[in-house]
Amino acid sequence: MTKKKLSFRTLCIILTFVFLYMPIGVLVLYSFNAGDSTAVFKGFSFKWYIELFNDTATLNALKNTLVLAILSSVISTIIGTAAAYGISKMKNKYIKNATMSATQIPMINPEIVTGISMMLLFVFVAKLINSTSFLGFWTVLIAHITFNLPYVILLVLPKFKEMDKSLPEAALDLGCTPLQSFFKVELPAIMPGIVAGFIMAFTLSIDDFVISYFTTGSGFETLPIRIYSMTKKRVTPDMYALSTLIFITILVLLLISNLADNKNKIELSKKTKKVLKIVGGSVFGTIGIATIIILCISATTEVKTVNVYNWGEYISDGGDDTLDVNKEFEKWAEEYYKSQGKKVRVQVNYTTYASNEDLYAKIANGAGGYDIIIPSDYMLEKMKEEGHLQPLDSSKIPNLKYLDTQFENMFVYERTETGENGEKTTINDRYGVPYTYGVVGIVYNGAELLENAPEILAHIESGNAGWEVMFGIPKRDANGNFVYDSEGKMILDMDDPENKKFNESYLKLKGQVLQFNNPRDAFGAAMYYLDVDVNNPTQEDWRAVYGLLAMQKNYVGGYVMDEIYNKMENGAAWLAAYYAGDCLSMMGENSDLDFFYPVNEEGYHQTNIFADAMCIPAKADENNLELAYMYINFMMEEEIASANAEYIYYACPYTHVINSDDYKINMGYYEYLYSNDGEILEDDEGNYRLKLDANGNPIYDPEGDYAVIYYDFKTPKVDDPNTPEIDFMLPIDYMFERYMYKDLTNVMLTLNDGTEISQLNMLNHKWEQLKVQSTSMIGIYITCGIIAILIVGFIVYSIIIKRKRRKLYWNNTPTPKAKKREDADPDLSDTTLVAIGKAKKREK
Amino acid sequence: MTKKNNILKQAAAYPHIVWAIIFIIAPLLFVAYYAFTDTDEAGKVHFSLANITSLAQATYLEVFLRSVCFAFLATVICFVIAYPVAYFISRTSPKVQKILVMLVMLPQWLNFLIRTYSWMAILEDTGIINSILGLVGLELHMINTPGAVILGMVYNFLPYMIIPIHSAMTKIDPRVLEAASDLGCNPLGVVTKVVFPLSLSGVISGITMVFVPSISTFYISQKLGGGNFDLIGDSIERQFQTQYDYNMGAAMSFVLMLLIIASMAVMNKYSDDEGGVIV
Amino acid sequence: MNEKKIIEPKGVDVANGEENVQAKKIVQLIDVAKSFDGEIILDHINLDVYEKEFITLLGPSGCGKTTTLRIIAGFVTPDTGDVLFEDARINDLPPHKRHVNTVFQKYALFPHLNVYENIAFALRLKKVSEEEIYERVEEMLAMVNLRGFEKKDVNLLSGGQQQRVAIARALINKPKVLLLDEPLGALDLKLRKDMQNELKNIQRKTGITFVYVTHDQEEALSMSDTVVVMADGKIQQIGTPTDIYNEPQNAFVADFIGESNIIDGVMLDDYKVRFSGHEFDCLDKGFGRNEAVDVVVRPEDVDVVPLDKGMLNGVVTSVTFKGVHYEIIVSIKDFKWMIQSTDYVEVGQNIGVYVEPDAIHIMKKSEYSNMFGDYSSFSDELEHLSDATEEEE
Repeated sequence: MTKKKLSFRTLCIILTFVFLYMPIGVLVLYSFNAGDSTAVFKGFSFKWYIELFNDTATLNALKNTLVLAILSSVISTIIGTAAAYGISKMKNKYIKNATMSATQIPMINPEIVTGISMMLLFVFVAKLINSTSFLGFWTVLIAHITFNLPYVILLVLPKFKEMDKSLPEAALDLGCTPLQSFFKVELPAIMPGIVAGFIMAFTLSIDDFVISYFTTGSGFETLPIRIYSMTKKRVTPDMYALSTLIFITILVLLLISNLADNKNKIELSKKTKKVLKIVGGSVFGTIGIATIIILCISATTEVKTVNVYNWGEYISDGGDDTLDVNKEFEKWAEEYYKSQGKKVRVQVNYTTYASNEDLYAKIANGAGGYDIIIPSDYMLEKMKEEGHLQPLDSSKIPNLKYLDTQFENMFVYERTETGENGEKTTINDRYGVPYTYGVVGIVYNGAELLENAPEILAHIESGNAGWEVMFGIPKRDANGNFVYDSEGKMILDMDDPENKKFNESYLKLKGQVLQFNNPRDAFGAAMYYLDVDVNNPTQEDWRAVYGLLAMQKNYVGGYVMDEIYNKMENGAAWLAAYYAGDCLSMMGENSDLDFFYPVNEEGYHQTNIFADAMCIPAKADENNLELAYMYINFMMEEEIASANAEYIYYACPYTHVINSDDYKINMGYYEYLYSNDGEILEDDEGNYRLKLDANGNPIYDPEGDYAVIYYDFKTPKVDDPNTPEIDFMLPIDYMFERYMYKDLTNVMLTLNDGTEISQLNMLNHKWEQLKVQSTSMIGIYITCGIIAILIVGFIVYSIIIKRKRRKLYWNNTPTPKAKKREDADPDLSDTTLVAIGKAKKREK
Repeated sequence: MTKKNNILKQAAAYPHIVWAIIFIIAPLLFVAYYAFTDTDEAGKVHFSLANITSLAQATYLEVFLRSVCFAFLATVICFVIAYPVAYFISRTSPKVQKILVMLVMLPQWLNFLIRTYSWMAILEDTGIINSILGLVGLELHMINTPGAVILGMVYNFLPYMIIPIHSAMTKIDPRVLEAASDLGCNPLGVVTKVVFPLSLSGVISGITMVFVPSISTFYISQKLGGGNFDLIGDSIERQFQTQYDYNMGAAMSFVLMLLIIASMAVMNKYSDDEGGVIV
Repeated sequence: MNEKKIIEPKGVDVANGEENVQAKKIVQLIDVAKSFDGEIILDHINLDVYEKEFITLLGPSGCGKTTTLRIIAGFVTPDTGDVLFEDARINDLPPHKRHVNTVFQKYALFPHLNVYENIAFALRLKKVSEEEIYERVEEMLAMVNLRGFEKKDVNLLSGGQQQRVAIARALINKPKVLLLDEPLGALDLKLRKDMQNELKNIQRKTGITFVYVTHDQEEALSMSDTVVVMADGKIQQIGTPTDIYNEPQNAFVADFIGESNIIDGVMLDDYKVRFSGHEFDCLDKGFGRNEAVDVVVRPEDVDVVPLDKGMLNGVVTSVTFKGVHYEIIVSIKDFKWMIQSTDYVEVGQNIGVYVEPDAIHIMKKSEYSNMFGDYSSFSDELEHLSDATEEEE
């Protein structure tokens, strides 16, 4: 019997540990993945570990995290221990209680509230002192100390209480000064508490994301923030590799400390002490020497920095045999200064963000200290309008000559200046240099569609598929108006036989369709489908797009950003709209995947095109401007831009890059459709054109396996009905005109009741409405309710039982010393007292 | 002399008090300030209850209800798992206990974003669990369901339930347990009638440490819920990072804070405070 | 005490063949052995506990007495041997199913319950009606003089009060056997004496068998019907307090129970023993001729006499005033005797000592011979005492 019980116990513990360690196991597994995915295992390799050590930004983030954790835990341990000491000596109950309550606030306050409350404070102070670089390392440090303090105090305080009161007295008696007594007697006695507090603080600090996320500013990125900023692209397996290394390190440390504990204590502790002394000494020695060296170097050489704030995973970072662009720039710039006879150390301070909105939040918060930022089109416009950007001096960017003509006038804004004599001159200010651009497409899993919804697949392959594959076809009434249900949702059309057929197929995709988790792109998709002007919809349009998205919400598997990679790659989702370059990345991991650009009924591409551009914020440090321009120019160098394009997989807007075959092949503008024996792998319906050499023979790819062809993007028939020369590049002018997002802040929408609201507010409002809108969760609510009722019932029951039991003896015999107030039963809550009082009355 | 000395000793707490006023109290006042004000077209700030009242919309009420429900269920599940585990751990030898407690805490050293991310690979329809279930011809849709979000919460915060309960249990005199069984309590009775009341302080700390982060989380719901189940944390984050409506965000934070303080107060009132309980 | 023996005749004196038919064995340990981590705690002991008797397990810490108690209570399962309760084997019966209750060393009261609920705990488990619980708890409270303390938080009670609650809690179940594990260990001397009386009274009133564990020999002697002296996992002697005191079976028992001078001697013949170079008359017989024996002489049985009247002569090395008497250490033939006398002598004085034949007790040599009974230094003794006060696991 005991044996049986034992095994149940062990089973319980084992199952819990399996639960706790399952994701870690997965993480360790994928850190050895030969592929790029964190969802599809392609074989064993160490490449991500190698990559990790080449990834300076990640290592830098790791360093920041550790420095932050150490500093914050040391400082909070010191302040906290002192505070615990002071609190333990406090006599005034009210002050003591007030202090304790204030201390505990960060513990019971949700992290997010703590984070935003501190952000509000810091932003306020930054504005007050008109500082542009206030948010950053120091604010994060302050925030970390703040949320660490309560834990330290609560762990140390009991030790002071437990401590024998006569201990310090004995020390004083033996001739210690009060200070000596504290350090020699009291401190060792409370040491376990201090150590526990320190470890707790360190753990919390190292793991914190939310609070750092809200309080950080330019140039300071911790590991969790870096991971979060990968949200647009993907969390790369080198993060898994890093986590694996951290995990193993901690495990080993724990094992060692445990073994040391179990072994012969005196002997080993002496030994370990010695070892610790040596190790500690050497570590501190090295740090000291390194600091001195760095100080010496920095004393002799000038250091120039450029602070770059970019999207996560949006630059070639040296992993996987690619070019480390930032390092290259540092080298190049140092060389440049050398040639100028100056000895300068150049440092690129590179940090990342997850979305335009994150970037804006930081910039609008007054966080300066960024020299280069890379917003997307509409955000660039918004920032420019709000004065967050400065016009660029084109003369300092000679490589602008490589900018493709289609981009020449992009991000250039006209401004009229009135001269002294009243004559007006028009000045063109460039606010951004295009960095990449891309188109939103739809990626799909051909194999799954073939199996589950062949009609949809056929529709897509017909080349005439548009956004309806993402949304289904909504019902219209006889007048062609959309039909809405009571909640403002559209309804799938099941009346028209043809639409019904399509919608029935579409329903087979339920739960397998992924939608963007950002308002611009999600609403954009709906607007393209309904052929609404994305940059100035009417109120009726808004109603329709909202209705469409709300309808779609019933069928989508999720609103996602970076998760799309894993979900598409491992076949968990079948259909999703995403940025073309990323779709290509996914296709590289799963050969079942394919993608297309949605077209409208006339066969024109009808989808968002975006461009991200390098800008210099208005508040950029003037001393860094020179380097900032050099950086922008450097990014436009052929080798660099190619490396970036190859890494990011987004289209490059520079002519010298575009024209290289490497780029074309790499970017998938060529598709290998013919094997080298000339067999056609896919039928050619005129959408593809073989690239021929001078003799008219097909050109083969470098490995000689496949002939290459140009990938034909459907050309707008309006522009040129005959579609003469098919260029490999998207003829995107018309898309830029129509489908690029503009800043909606100042585009006003007049509602039917005459009030005005900015389109941006409308977008946000509708998005909010869409997101918080209920999905059916009745089951959860019911479960919740039942459990809550059970718990409350149980509590009430036990209170009743307790009262009933007490009734017999509670009043009959007075406690001998009950007259004294302090003898009142502490167990007796106010409510009970009241109840007893009532009971007494009744008795009377 | 001694009095003076004591005041001097109390002064050790002053840096912390000053710190708390500047970095704990003041920021909260900012939250309150933003929650009860609005900026009009002209950029003038004026007092307003609009933010708070707009939270009374059905949609936001639903967000709050959903968050409370998710957090509540996560807390209940955490408790159901953690309690026996903590109990069983506390019944092992001190050496083993030490190792087990370390192992419980160890995953917390890895970034929670990464661990949550890793769960996606496990829960996907084509993920690890379904691959295993697939061998016996089963399929379970887990990702992007409320269950997945709750699982994520349970996973991330389970150690914060186990540890306080376990530490409360280790403080129980083993003789008291023997006394109970000596008086005729069966093993289950010992747990419910003696161990549970005596570890209540740990349970309450555990509930606090699970419920509070669960109700305000915003990453887990995005990754494991597929963005389908907006929680308060998501809404607040969006107000600050996407919508730039600081007033609305502050109002939500303010209400959330009140909600938590209220539930803490209720909980502490109905648990016979054994001391060491938060608040 | 003699009185009691008449009221409750028992079969303790197996050796004397006076087994009483009426006394029933309630608990029997047969050949019970237990070891933890390879360390032998109990070395194949046999013990019978009779109904209505107050039996004390006495011994220094680590002697196995608490383990014995825990085996009876069911917290420890013996490695070998049988535990019988009313002739039924209960080795594998979990504690909560045994009709045995325990008063724990530090009372082990339930800190979350008040006095009333602590005492009512066992009855609640049995689903007794509230009215009956009330009656019985009040009865118990009256018995332990704690009426009016119902609502009190047990953590705020004094040690003596907690002790009473613990006793009341254990007795409310009306167990057949009450096990008490050093229940008075944490009380101060005065309170302890009071509680000893109270416990004895309770036992008499209720007629419940008490199995009492202590390391305090005085406590054991004054309360028990039967004393079981244990050392090193073995039972050294079982007997009535008088037997144990007057006729210790070996040097260990002699030393542990009261003060003793234990001297090497040789049994010359029946009723004749020689030690310290002198031949004494004694009341013991049945030893082999010239057999080496241990001779026990209690300090209070030695008379100080003028030099010429002494059977032995020695020099006083120290005198300590103890209130009732002086404690005199006398060096006789390099052996330090302890003598308790009301007469004052001076240090350095030569005195004679006189020992009556009935003051001499002869024991067979045992493994404990030459380990105890010399008062040449108090250090060993002190160490021994401090050992005994340490908590026993």
